[in-house]
This record gives sequence, C-alpha cells and structure tokens, in this order.
Amino acid sequence: MRLALAIAAFVVLIVHGVVFYDQFFHRWERHQTAYFEQARSLSKNERERAELEARAPRIEQVIVTSFGDTRVDRCTTCHLAADDPRFTGHGEPLKTHPYSTAMGDVFRDGRWERRHKFSDFGCTVCHDGQGRGLETKYSHGEDEFWPDPLAGYVTQANWRKDFAPKLKGVEYMESNCAQCHTATDFAGTPNVNRGRKLFYAMNCYGCHKIDGMSEGTLGPDLTEAGKKFKIDYLWESIVEPRANLDTSFMPKFNLSEADVRSLVIFLKSRRGVNFAETSLDRYKAHVENVAVVIPPGTAGEKAGEQLLADRACTACHKLHDKDGGIAPDLSYEGLIRDNDWLTDHFQNPRSRIPDSIMPAFRFPRDDFQRLSAYLVSLKTPPAAAGAETTYHDLCMRCHGEKGDGNGKVAWYIDPSPRDFTKAAFMTSKPRERLVTSIKNGVAGTSMPPWGRMLKDEQAGAMLDYVLQTFTREPLKELKPRNLPEKNPVAGSKESTAHGEQVFLERCTGCHGRKADGKGPNSLDILPHPRNLRNSWFVDSVTDRRLFESILYGVQGTAMPSWIDYGLTQKDVGDIINFIRNINQKSGSPQYARN
Amino acid sequence: MSDATKETPGGLAVLRELPSNVWNSIFRGPLPSTDLERSSTSFTNFFLHIHPVKVNRNTLRPAYTLGLGLISLFLFLILVVTGVLLMFYYVPSTTQAYDRMLDLRGTVAFGIFLRNMHRWSAHGMVAIVFLHMCRVFLTGAYKKPREFNWVLGVVLLLVTLFLSFTGYLLPWDQLAFWAITVGTSIAGYAPLIGKQMQFVLLGDTTVGQEALLRFYVLHVAVLPAVLVLLIAVHFWRIRKDGGLSRPEKPADPVAATGIVKMRKVYGLQGFVRGPFTKVGNVPDDSVYSWPNLLMSELFVFVLTVSVILVVSLMFNAPLEQPVNVMHPPNPAKAPWYFLGLQEMVSYSAFWGGIGIPGIMVGLLLVTPYIDRGTKGVGKWFAKERLMANTIFLTLVTLNIIFIVIGTFFRGPNWTLVSPF
Repeated sequence: MRLALAIAAFVVLIVHGVVFYDQFFHRWERHQTAYFEQARSLSKNERERAELEARAPRIEQVIVTSFGDTRVDRCTTCHLAADDPRFTGHGEPLKTHPYSTAMGDVFRDGRWERRHKFSDFGCTVCHDGQGRGLETKYSHGEDEFWPDPLAGYVTQANWRKDFAPKLKGVEYMESNCAQCHTATDFAGTPNVNRGRKLFYAMNCYGCHKIDGMSEGTLGPDLTEAGKKFKIDYLWESIVEPRANLDTSFMPKFNLSEADVRSLVIFLKSRRGVNFAETSLDRYKAHVENVAVVIPPGTAGEKAGEQLLADRACTACHKLHDKDGGIAPDLSYEGLIRDNDWLTDHFQNPRSRIPDSIMPAFRFPRDDFQRLSAYLVSLKTPPAAAGAETTYHDLCMRCHGEKGDGNGKVAWYIDPSPRDFTKAAFMTSKPRERLVTSIKNGVAGTSMPPWGRMLKDEQAGAMLDYVLQTFTREPLKELKPRNLPEKNPVAGSKESTAHGEQVFLERCTGCHGRKADGKGPNSLDILPHPRNLRNSWFVDSVTDRRLFESILYGVQGTAMPSWIDYGLTQKDVGDIINFIRNINQKSGSPQYARN
Repeated sequence: MSDATKETPGGLAVLRELPSNVWNSIFRGPLPSTDLERSSTSFTNFFLHIHPVKVNRNTLRPAYTLGLGLISLFLFLILVVTGVLLMFYYVPSTTQAYDRMLDLRGTVAFGIFLRNMHRWSAHGMVAIVFLHMCRVFLTGAYKKPREFNWVLGVVLLLVTLFLSFTGYLLPWDQLAFWAITVGTSIAGYAPLIGKQMQFVLLGDTTVGQEALLRFYVLHVAVLPAVLVLLIAVHFWRIRKDGGLSRPEKPADPVAATGIVKMRKVYGLQGFVRGPFTKVGNVPDDSVYSWPNLLMSELFVFVLTVSVILVVSLMFNAPLEQPVNVMHPPNPAKAPWYFLGLQEMVSYSAFWGGIGIPGIMVGLLLVTPYIDRGTKGVGKWFAKERLMANTIFLTLVTLNIIFIVIGTFFRGPNWTLVSPF
C-alpha cells in the first residue's frame, strides 16, 4: 500500500514538473531572445543597444478594431522583426515583412513607409490565421477546426491530398483584399475579378444566389460561402460536385485549373457583409430584386452556336458529342420544338414545363433569339434505321437502356419518364393513346412530340418494339366502360367547392394539399403522383380520361379505383371541375415567375 | 502541580515554545498511538469526524467497493478547484466565450491544463458515478436500511449528468452548440410540457446568448450547490444507515448465549434511533479508521489525481470551430453520455427521448422498494440475486450498446457507418 502510494505520488510530482516546464518555457520567448541578440549586433546606435539589452520577452499584440469584430493579433510575438527593415534577408519567423509599391508602400527619405500599417490592420485581416494563438499549430490555423488558416500558406492536415498543393499561393489572399477593395476591376484582385466574371459566364448565377449579384434558387446560397467554407471544400465542390452530396445535380464544368482557382478565391471573398459596406448596404443588396444583366454574346452568322458553347449549355444538355448528362438532348431540337416554344421556354422554362429544374437565365433578349434560331436550325434527323436504333438515339436518354424509365437524365426530370416494364400500366391503355403520346408528346412534360421526325408507321413500330422488348405482354382487350365524353356536371361554385372538399378528404395524401403531386406519400410512390397544377398537362387531357383515371384507377400506379371507395359520378365530376378550375388557362401568370 | 502554580514562561522560552504552541493549538493531540487516541482523533478533528471511529474490515476491501464512490468525490473536488480557477477567465457571452477559450489554450498560464483537467474529470465523473451505481446494485447494497440513500444516489447521478451537460455548452464552439441543440431538443419531445421545458432551459427557441447565460449559472452556482447538499446527505446517511453494506455475519455466539451481560448505557447516541456504528469493546470485525481508512482514502485520492494529471497532459480538450448557426455538422451529436438517448430517439422521438429513459429512471428510483428480499447483500453477483442482477445488467448493457452505436457507428444523416 505504501509503495503504491509512493509511486502514485511520484507520478503526480513528475507530471507537475512537466506541466511547469511546458508553461514557463515557450518557443516564442526563444524567438524573442534571438531577435534581441541579432538586433543588438546589427544596431549601430548605442542607445538602441542598451534598450535591447534591457528588454525581456513578453507577449506582443495588436488590437484591431476598424475591421469588423475586434481582433487580437499576437503574431508579432514571434514575428518580432516584421517591421524591422534590417531583417530582410533573414529566415522566418524573424524576417522583415516585404515592402511593396504595388501595395502602396512608399520609400521616402531612405525609409519605407507602409500603406497598410500593422498597428492599424494587424495581420489576420489580410493573412487569416488565428491571431490569439502563440503556438505555430494554432496561430497558423493548422488544426483542422480553425476556419481560416493562413491564406495561401497553410493547408490543413485533413484536406484532400490531391488539392492541397493547388491551394497554396499568395493569390489566395486576394479574397481578403476584396473585403475593402470591392471595385470589380481593382487591379490588386485579378483573381476575384476573374472569378466574378466566371460566375456569370459559366451560368453559376442561374442556380446560386449571392445577395446583390444573383438570385438563383436551385443550388445553395453562396452569399456567405467564404465564411462558411474553407478553400479546400470550395475547390472540391467545383471540380467534383458530388463529392459531398451524392444527390447533387450540379454539373461538372471541366474548368481549367486557373479558372477553378479564380472561382475559389472569388467565392472565398463572399462573406455576407464586407468591410467596405454598411449594414444598410448589406440589407439593400439582400432585398434588392437583382436584375442580372449579362453582356450580349457574339453577333454574326454562327452567333447561336457560339453562344451555346459560351454559355455552358452542354454542362447539362447534350448536343452531338458534348454531353453534360443532366438535361435532354438538343441535337434534334429543330424537329421537335418551334421558335415560340423555345423562346418561351428560354425566358422561363417553367412556363412550358412546370416542374422543370432549368434555371431562368438572364441573357439579353437578342441572345435568346439567336439561341432559339440556332436550335430551330438543328433539323437533321438521325439516319433512318430500325426501331431499336431509333430507341437508342432518341428514347434511351430518358427511358433507360432497360426501358425502366431510369435513363441517364431521368433523375432530373419531373414527371419521371414512363417505366415500360410496368406491364399493368402499359397493357391497360388503348393503342391509340400510346401512339399519340409518341407522336404528339405529353404536354407540360419533357416528352417531346416526335411526330415531325417519325412517320406514322415508324411511331407504330417503335411502340411495338417497346411492348415486345420491355413490356413483354400484349395489350389487353379493354372492356367498354360507362364513361362520359364530357363532364356531365356543370361547372359552378357549388360543384367546385364540393370537388375541393372531396379532394381534400381523399386525394391530398398523394397529390398534396396544393394538388402539386407532392403529398406526404408521394416520395414512396413510383411513378410519382401527377402534379395537377400542371396546366399544360391538365388541359391536354380529356374529361373522359380524367373520369376513367379517377373512377377506375390507373393500373400499374398507386392510383386506386375510387368507384370501390364510394365516389359517385357526381363526386368525380365535381373533382374534375375543381381541377379544371385551378388550371384555368395554360400559361396563366401563375407560372410566369417561379 | 496545578495550573495556577505553574510558572508562566517568559522571554526566550516563549520563542522556543512558539512552534509547538502553534502546532498544538491547531492539532489538539499528538499523532495517535493508542486506540483511545485514535478514536479521539477521529472524533475531535473537524475534517476527520465525518468518519466513524471504527470501520468494518469489509468496507476497506478494495475488491468490494473498488473505491468508486471515493473516486467520484475526488473528481468532484478536482472539478470544483479547476472550475473556480477557470471562472476567473471565462465570460458567458456569445461574442467572448470562444475567444476566452483561445486565450486559455494559448496565452493563460496553465490555462490549457486547467481546461483539460476540468474536461476529463467531468467525463470521468459521469462514468465513475454510473459505475458506482452499478457496484451498489450488483452487491445488493441498496437494501434495507439503505433504500433512501440509493434514491439519493440516483438523483446524484442525474444531477451529475445535468452538470456535465450544462458545462458542455460553455466553450461555445461547434461541438458545444450542436450537442446542446440536439440535447435540448430531446427534452422538447416530452409530452405536454416538452416545448415549455425546452424554452425555460434555453430562454429562447434556439440555443443563443440566453441559453449560454442560463447554462453558465446552472453550471457554476445552482447545480454545484445542489450537488454539495445531496453529497452531504448521501454521506450522512451512510453513517446513519450503519456504514457500508456488508455480508451478514453469523450472530456472535458469546453475546447470544448471554454469558456477558450487556450493561445498559445511556449516552447521547442512545437517543439516536436506528442502527449506528458501534463504538466500544463489543467484539466485532472492525478496525480503527485512523490509519486504515485514511490511508485507503489518501491512496484513492492520489491515484485519481495522478490519472487525471497524466490524461490531461496527454490529451487536449477538444475545441472545434467557432459557432456557425448556419452550418451544422453532419451528424450533430449530443455529448457521449446522451448518445444512447439520441440513438433511441432516431427510432422514436417520444419513446427514445422521454419514454424509455423516464421508465428506466423510475425503475431505478423504486428498485429498493420493489426488491424487498434481504438475501445476498454485500456480495458481488450473489446467487440469491440472480434475477435482479440479470435484469439490471441487461438494461445497462443495452444502454452501453446504444451509446457505442451512437458514438462510433453513426455517420452523416445518422446512417450506419463502420468506424474501422
């Protein structure tokens, strides 16, 4: 017992010794002593030598109050020679901070005068890092938790090894320069300026919002990206959009390394409020309805084609051999869409396809017209071939190699492409309807009218091919059903009100309270429930089909046969009046701004 | 020679006797060498009189108590000392708290070491208090007449957890902020009063300045005061309940046959109802507290301190990035001792966060009033207590499994991941 006690007491003693040593002998004290000695030997002034002789190590600090929250920068505790011109040739930490005329430093009467005085600016305002720390690891921000390590000098241990070397270089400090020097053409921040131009040129603004610059809603808001994210994360998000989020549909923009660097530096400079703004400026930028003006593209004969390349359309779309893998193929656009449709769709994609994710880009009107004109000119159909090749060329991108509606871009398309392997659905529809869908497309969805490209017999052959290859069941003989051609219930206030009431009671679980197809059950259901506010679609559907779908259900989907649940013809008529009522005119202003 | 005739020393003699006079005025007797002196030392010293004069040998068996209760106490003492020192530097303000942490880590002399000691002692105390409870259960020590002390012990465990939890927020880094956000939203799942309770705790609908101030006051004033009071009662009850539990000895054959007639004595203790630790020459299995009990305590103390010191020297208390309300970590995890709850909450908010923990605490509180058997006290894993021990160990193991899953096997979006 006594021996154990003695051992334990000894441990306590040893630990105390170590702790005391640790707490009383600091690295920075050694740096300071070295500085005093070297400065003494360099000094030609008797009085200065005496002063240096008398100086004892102590913590040096600059308290910076002019730039945002108060900062305490203790960097000069080690970097004691930063403002001492005699140490220009020395090694860190005892090295003079360089003087630079580009930064505004002036050489006057044999002495340099700094434009950015350390006593005013401290160090971290420009360099980042953690001003309060006194150990290299913490003060340089080498520990993985510090949000702003020394810009361009320090890469943290947990950063991706393949990026880390690219994240070094003085240019990363530009993101701090831009906190005060906000002019878009400021000569000291070439990378920030270039990044800002790329933000527009590469269509980033279409999906991302930055207060005062853009108002995209598809991707994350980048107003405070520089505050939230480290440069490692920003770089990764640009070059590998899915590295952090599997479901991200941000395209991979194959940018040059210099472009990525400029974008990262630009984004790092986005901190919400910057030093040059007042909070009122910030508020104005936040509420302002930004009208992004994109400078017009090149004019001339090939203008449209050139624009298509410049505006990074193929980052999402496919055009001949270029394929972004997110949005439909544009190679035959002239055969499936006309100029009006294209112009409408350009100005607001949701005015034609209400659930489209395509951003509304703010190009000048001329640019849209040139783009439309170019797309309309793409009228070369694929070489005539058998149904299999045609399916491969035209249908597979959405409907998938196996016909299961799971093509390359299906994930980004709403409503989802039809799954041909669901025999219950495919075989319960009359042949005419299926052929019509191929020839006329499905209004309000991404299914285009192929009729101008495929002849009647080709469309028929295509349907046969799909039924044989994927559905593998013949169409059923359809029993004649007692269905009215026109809704027998006259549209009236009472009818609509009753229809709404029944809808709210019975339909919202899947179709949602807004009838937008996003009810609580909708996520688990494939195909997803119809968006009943898609006016283009609803208007294209006959009363008879609506009656049939509601009364007898839609086979192969989750839509049940409501006649079995006690809905009468009258109820269904009221529901149809209600649905028609919320979709009064195609292209009504409800989709104009979305 | 009576005092009156004794010569008053003067001059040099005063100086010569000064040290021993001062010494004797503080310590009223010499180091004890006889049993009488040993008893009197325990009785007359303010700090020692919390001990009984004699303790049962069983109490001193390391393998019986494992010293867990004492370790808890000593950790608490370390926490009080380091905590008070940390209070000199800490400001419970959202704008300053994190900077103060940076200063503690980098600039304040011994700052990082104090924080490490405080942090690791706090985690240690939660674990040790829990183990202490397991020890008491598995040795059946909560049985009559110690029922109420068990109840106090359960309350002490809860207060310890809450103390640790309130302290978790104070560094005001990402770890703290999101752990408390998760922890307090678990409280919000309670029926009827959940949201109100959460609001009272946070002083707001989200974790912010109000919550920081409330947690600070709870952490440095209210809860420690409650804990000290409860610890005092806990210790008092140990004495009043007849010392630590021990196996029953067969009745003393000498006393039983009545050959030695017990003289009736009315001392002050005669008025104390109920069992008390015996003082006197009755033959029993006990030894003097001085030096036996004191040496054990000193040993446990030094051992606890040295372990905490070594751990604090080797591992720095975590300090993550400053709070960013807009950027939650994925997954945001509660402190480890609540990760079992969080794991259960991921299955069912009410049952995991409130229902099952509530039932468990309720069960713990009523255990001594349900389990009325008197057999198997004072023995680890007694055969007579097989069922009780099995139920208890099952629940403990389940809890630990949930904590382990929550801590190591949960990744982004609370999906199962392998830590290896």
